[in-house]
Amino acid sequence: MRDFTYVLADDVASAGSLVHNDAVARAVQTPDDVAYVAGGTTQYDLMRDGVWSPGTLVDISRLPLADIEVSDDLLVVGAAVTMADLARHPSVVDLDVLRDSLLLAASPQLRTMATVGGNVLQRTRCRYFRDPTVTQCNKRVPGSGCAAVEGTARTHAVLGVDAGCIAVHASDLAVALVALDARVRTHGPHGGRTISVTQLHVRADEDPARDNTLVAGELITHLEIPLPDARSGYLKVRDRASYEFALTSAAVVARVEDGVLAHVAIGLGGVGSVPWRATRAEEVLRGQRASLALFEEAAAAELADAFTVPGTAFKPELARRTLVRQLRDVTEVTA
Amino acid sequence: MTATTQAPTTAAPVIGAGVTRVDGPLKVTGAVPYADDLAPRDALVGVLVGATIASGEISLVDASDALAAPGVVAVLSHHDAPRVVRPDEASADERAPMPPFQDATVRFHGDYVAMVVAQTREEAVHAASLLRVSYDVAEPVVDLNDPRALRETDDPAGADSVRGDLERGVAAADVVIEADYVTGDNTNNPLGLFSACAEWDGDALHMWATTQWPFNTADCLAEAWGIPREDVRVECPYLGGGFGSGLRPWPYIHAAAMAARVVGQPVRVVLSRPQMFTGVGHRPETVQHVRLGARRDGTLTAVEHTATIPVATDDDNPENIVSGTRQGYAVEHLRADVDQVRLHISPPGSMRAPGEAQGNFALETALDELAVELGIDPVELRMRNEAVTNPDQDDLPWSSKALDQCLRRGAELIGWDDRDPAPRSMREGDQLIGYGMAAVSFFYFQQPCTVRVVVRRDGSAAVHCAAMDIGTGTYTIVTQVAAERLGLDLSEVEVVLGDSSLPASPPAGGSGLAMAISNATALAVSGVLGDLGLDGAPGRDVLARAVGDRDEVRAEATATPPDPAELGMSPSGAFGAKFAKVRVDADLGLVRVERLVSVIDCGQVLNERTARSQVVGGTVGGIGHALLEHTVTDLHAGPQTGRVTNAHLADYLVAVNADVPDLEVEFVGGPDRLNTVGVKGVGEVGLCGVAAAIGNAVFHATGRRIRRLPITPDLLL
Repeated sequence: MRDFTYVLADDVASAGSLVHNDAVARAVQTPDDVAYVAGGTTQYDLMRDGVWSPGTLVDISRLPLADIEVSDDLLVVGAAVTMADLARHPSVVDLDVLRDSLLLAASPQLRTMATVGGNVLQRTRCRYFRDPTVTQCNKRVPGSGCAAVEGTARTHAVLGVDAGCIAVHASDLAVALVALDARVRTHGPHGGRTISVTQLHVRADEDPARDNTLVAGELITHLEIPLPDARSGYLKVRDRASYEFALTSAAVVARVEDGVLAHVAIGLGGVGSVPWRATRAEEVLRGQRASLALFEEAAAAELADAFTVPGTAFKPELARRTLVRQLRDVTEVTA
Repeated sequence: MTATTQAPTTAAPVIGAGVTRVDGPLKVTGAVPYADDLAPRDALVGVLVGATIASGEISLVDASDALAAPGVVAVLSHHDAPRVVRPDEASADERAPMPPFQDATVRFHGDYVAMVVAQTREEAVHAASLLRVSYDVAEPVVDLNDPRALRETDDPAGADSVRGDLERGVAAADVVIEADYVTGDNTNNPLGLFSACAEWDGDALHMWATTQWPFNTADCLAEAWGIPREDVRVECPYLGGGFGSGLRPWPYIHAAAMAARVVGQPVRVVLSRPQMFTGVGHRPETVQHVRLGARRDGTLTAVEHTATIPVATDDDNPENIVSGTRQGYAVEHLRADVDQVRLHISPPGSMRAPGEAQGNFALETALDELAVELGIDPVELRMRNEAVTNPDQDDLPWSSKALDQCLRRGAELIGWDDRDPAPRSMREGDQLIGYGMAAVSFFYFQQPCTVRVVVRRDGSAAVHCAAMDIGTGTYTIVTQVAAERLGLDLSEVEVVLGDSSLPASPPAGGSGLAMAISNATALAVSGVLGDLGLDGAPGRDVLARAVGDRDEVRAEATATPPDPAELGMSPSGAFGAKFAKVRVDADLGLVRVERLVSVIDCGQVLNERTARSQVVGGTVGGIGHALLEHTVTDLHAGPQTGRVTNAHLADYLVAVNADVPDLEVEFVGGPDRLNTVGVKGVGEVGLCGVAAAIGNAVFHATGRRIRRLPITPDLLL
């Protein structure tokens, strides 16, 4: 393991200018070699596995980013709020899609450590990516190829991928966030900005080496989550009843008025190189009379162009069924 | 230093009573000495480096950068490591695993090519990343179905058997069913990472190593180094789980001894989790074929069960996939055959219920298919074919057998007769409900075991044996047997185990230790009482008076497996019946176990609490075997060929609490006639039959027959 510098950014007094404190200023000056860390539940694994060797870690867990503010229709969540704390917040307890995306993820121990800002930036679980002895990995070594495409790929993605990389984005929370039209607030070297979660990640078929659209030194400070005037739910399908990433999942936010889908937003998990916003399915559904046949049509449309390898051949079908089931359960349509 | 225990106070008789573990307080307070806890604290740290190819020759291990790294003391590789003899593991009927660094050949992905020894683990890990290993790569053969693989057909597992004339039996059948079954490779994955620390004193070797068999490990080390057996001592009073992976003297143990020899200081090696997938054995995958012939009334006329399993290129692993088939049912015409295929994979080894775990799935699934075909209740089908005598051992009567009681009681507990037997007939909302069952006839395994009993001047006693307690309760049951037969309180008996310098023991494996050590203990107690001129269970005061002014009186005794022919009976292993109730999501294919009933005949139950715990633990392993666990090796041609793709506990799925319902366990039957204590082992029977019972329940729920483990949602879409 390479030696690294650890800086605890705990300068609460100058929190207003947090990215200008000494530690982060250094981080910005040498961007390739510096990273923020909070819960560390992904990053320390990557370091121990020899996949990632930053020179400096800037620990942001003591910065004042652990508050949750609620207005009428917006939840503003500090990036350092843990998954466990967000799940038990009064505004989240009744927001099924968000609560279940948190509580069905990881284990209680991990949820107590992991922060929501880190969660949406977690790196893929692909075991070819996570084993440095594997030489072909376009995400780790751009241009080297993809061992997973030819290898064992049961847990890999089928949307937003091609033969260059089939790594899945494994966050449950981010799948719920795309269905909730959530945004991230960031603070970077050029000031602050707000990015839709649907625009935060980079598809593997666009650039496997790049996970997200943040620039060097840019820090997620908050999640902005609109509180929907709709019903919602998160269904996670996995071999094991707990403590496993999704084979497939569906986050559905929908409001039916007089039998018609007045609002519908869908995120799919376990299938995409990014948290997958199912816009094709939404187009089929929006403004239409809700029915099981329509749900089938929508799900089929979303998965129509799936890229599969032998190990993932089952995934489009399982994803279709997962989405249909969750649309049915959220809308309570029976026929 | 050795481990000692202090027991709670209870009144005799204690055999069969569910007394709490004598080492329970030590365990829950973190005070039990695991092997590594006893090792020298100032030992250097060795980190093993595995090959990144599956077959070939190492052309060079360039350690110059690694040796220059901070804290590094030495690098071992085949260039300069000490040469040792490969032990012939005679007591285990196989060659011991190859000691590492003896030649340039790479036999599998992860095969050790070097070890870095440094002051700290972090320094060793870093230096290991600086090693430059060059290979002449050869094309590996890693697929069980690869026609290029060397196939061993001459009964390599000692499993083959022919009775009668199979084709005659098939011809006599009204119904014949025939199918292939596949079980995936599994990895034992005890939570405790295996460790070994070696310290040399001149030519004497002292090791603290994770092992289920300290005595044999010491034998093998003495043979490897050509030193007197009495100059080798291996201690392992406790380990963090074994499940069979600690049975053999694996290469990492040799590596620690070599490194300590080279650097002249104690060296500790702790495997990483990925190394636990390639360095300490695994349950081999199987491809099996079963053909059953039966008359309309359900009488079996022919049973054919063949299996192909992998074995490493230069290793032995006589795994008997068909043991349960050979002795399970009364059938005149039988052919059982196991072939092995040599692959460039890490050496497979025993994993809880080796052979029977996989073979039972095929046989008991096939019987379920036959029951459906015949329209006979699956429980009834098994009863009609009960082997009243052992067809695999000259039709000798069993020393004990209560399988019919297991079947009846299990059916009663799960409400078997209340189900609708038609497939896909029971449903609650999206959930299809199914019931399934399987029977188990577990093999008998015994080796000699020697125990020393010491009665001290104060009338208290100690029991000494090299055997290991792998967490199953050996300390506790030995305490119980000795206490009851000496008339002592549990707290007046000290049990010392896990040290190769103590009297010879068999492995903690094969469901054989409880029988061996409890009988040896009983014999040694008889011996010491005879020496003291006592009988019965005299109690502390009488014992103290008999010892008189001597410091102590000791006696040793050896329990030896009897000759069945001489006895006129066939030694029985445990029997059992498993009944499962599952829910299967009709659309999503998710299988969740709702109930699992185990009814077990294990002879005399020595301790109801620890025996139940063994069945519960085995059943949890069975759920993993059925639905989750699968070690996946990269088969495609390329640089990753032969690499385990999920060597990580996040990706290799074991059952977690949410997968395990309340498990119902009952014991039936009585003491076995074979031995004085009447005990049969219960360590593995709990796992067997679970996969078939769940698979059969999945069929009942869905109408879909899955002949492959693990049964995952994608197979049910």
